[in-house]
Amino acid sequence: MASISLKNIYKVFDDGTTAVNDFTLEIADKEFIILVGPSGCGKSTTLRMIAGLESISKGEMKIGDRVVNDIAPKDRDIAMVFQSYALYPHMSVYKNMAFGLELRKIPKDEIDKRVREAAKILDIEHLLKRKPRALSGGQRQRVALGRAMVRSPSVFLLDEPLSNLDAKLRTAMRTEIKKLHQRLGTTFIYVTHDQTEAMTMGDRIVVMKDGVVQQVDTPQNLYNKPFNMFVAGFIGSPQMNFLDATVKIRDNKIILALKNNELDVTEIFKDNQAVAEYKDKPVKMGIRPEDLTTDIGFVSKNHGRIITAKVDVYEHMGSETYLYLDYSGEKIIARVPSGDYDNSFVELGVKADKIHLFDPNTTQAIY
Amino acid sequence: MRGITKQNVGRTLLYIILTAIAIGFLAPVFVVLMNSFKGKFFITEEPFALPNSSTFAGLENYLSGLQKTGFFSAFGWSLFITVFSVIAIVLFTSMTAWYIVRVKNRFTKFLYYVFVFSMVVPFQMVMFTMTKTAGDLHLDTPWGIILIYLGFGSGLAVFMFSGFLKSVPIEVEEAAMIDGCTPLQTFFMVVFPILKPTAITVAILDAMWIWNDYLLPYLLIGSDYKTIPIAVQYLRGGYGSVDMGAMMAMLVLSIIPIVVFYLSCQKYIIKGIVAGAVKG
Repeated sequence: MASISLKNIYKVFDDGTTAVNDFTLEIADKEFIILVGPSGCGKSTTLRMIAGLESISKGEMKIGDRVVNDIAPKDRDIAMVFQSYALYPHMSVYKNMAFGLELRKIPKDEIDKRVREAAKILDIEHLLKRKPRALSGGQRQRVALGRAMVRSPSVFLLDEPLSNLDAKLRTAMRTEIKKLHQRLGTTFIYVTHDQTEAMTMGDRIVVMKDGVVQQVDTPQNLYNKPFNMFVAGFIGSPQMNFLDATVKIRDNKIILALKNNELDVTEIFKDNQAVAEYKDKPVKMGIRPEDLTTDIGFVSKNHGRIITAKVDVYEHMGSETYLYLDYSGEKIIARVPSGDYDNSFVELGVKADKIHLFDPNTTQAIY
Repeated sequence: MRGITKQNVGRTLLYIILTAIAIGFLAPVFVVLMNSFKGKFFITEEPFALPNSSTFAGLENYLSGLQKTGFFSAFGWSLFITVFSVIAIVLFTSMTAWYIVRVKNRFTKFLYYVFVFSMVVPFQMVMFTMTKTAGDLHLDTPWGIILIYLGFGSGLAVFMFSGFLKSVPIEVEEAAMIDGCTPLQTFFMVVFPILKPTAITVAILDAMWIWNDYLLPYLLIGSDYKTIPIAVQYLRGGYGSVDMGAMMAMLVLSIIPIVVFYLSCQKYIIKGIVAGAVKG
């Protein structure tokens, strides 16, 4: 049993800063949870509170059925992997992995068995006699994972474990950690600021900002149904475009009036009471870069769903091209099939069913 | 070509200067060593002449020195005071520095500045009041003097340990806590081994200072317990008569242990500097 329950958790530092504000989350046994957000959002502090490295200012935390607020890190049955690896520099790889078990007075042959087993899984058997300084970044990361694995903890905590690795290695380790989770069948809590890592690894993602949880959901739901503009902008790369718009209802048609164009969204919003309430009011329209298209077929068939913008810069990504456009002063990005574009005006079709609407004051999603 | 020549000239010049400095430093040691084998009258007559068949005295100076000074007893006290003072300084100041660096508040900040300030207070300024106080507290024993050395040595030691500890990532200690270490285990099994290069540097500096120190043991325990510098000083008899032969011989014997200690530890000092400079 390694479900974790966090109820109304607060962290207020001595100087009065509130790092974590009313954090509530139920984490199921064997779940892979990602805490994601920009730096300073409180994700690492939350993880450190779960580890017991930071005290909890208010609220209740349970691991399994046990309230752990005042329980020392060593007694919480957790293991943690740090961003800086935090290996013991004076100990060999073997000793690094065995250290926690020796402190727990596990018999020597059992320790040896567990260390060798973990080393085999992580492919570091040949490094067991080396000191950490003789290892590469990727190898050190594996040792750090191994040190956590041998303990067979009921919860694995990982604090940006891949951010010190180069891009290629990071992708490889991402898959390995995912595999490790499946193999160990343990609860994983993983902190990252990289939304790609969050999207590819987690069962559920917790998006945080300024110490407050913005949304907890599966990667797909976060992408398709963001609760607010922050989540919409944070998840997805390149990020979602936001345009000023006004909801108009004319001749039984629902129109989104942008700066230079009007989009007919009747089909999409006709039964939506929430949108109707915004009649003649300003809203923020969100549209992802891949939902703007230069496809001639689409543009010619959807006259009411076109915007015209000027290409500022374009980037060839190989399989596709990113257009950085200027729409009467508003910057937007479109992800279009690769090709050559010049710095002129282009007509972009808007996939109306992919439109998101947000209240400009509360930034909450209307639709 | 010209560049290379210029570089060579510069390098040769540097070697000449460094050799001259090295000779300047080693010459007194050599003179002492040389004179320790000469008859005592020849030492004052021709202090810089090499021993020859008529001036060579063999081990006579050593034997008379050992006899006159009670060298073995002095060696024992010097060793006792040096070893235990150094152990006390390294152990207590490393723990203090750990506390100061890891617990950040006004008190530890103040404490740190007190330690740093203690480095700039000259011994001569406090020696009489300190001797009096130490006497009142019955610290005028070889055991008590260890405590006083701990006080005098802690400024520099805390300063050095703190400097190094600031570069040690706290995550290593947190990992140890999660692995199951108590604070004491964290210190002795994880932090102290990492501090080893600094600990050795501190140990060498303090050992050399305490081993060679004359004034503090003289003022505090000189009449009852003689350390080597005091014992050697006693070779100066009354009315200005000095047994130079025995003194030279005892000086040679007194520097041997500290030179051996320095040479056996110096590789760790270099190791420490490298480990700090290179990432990882």
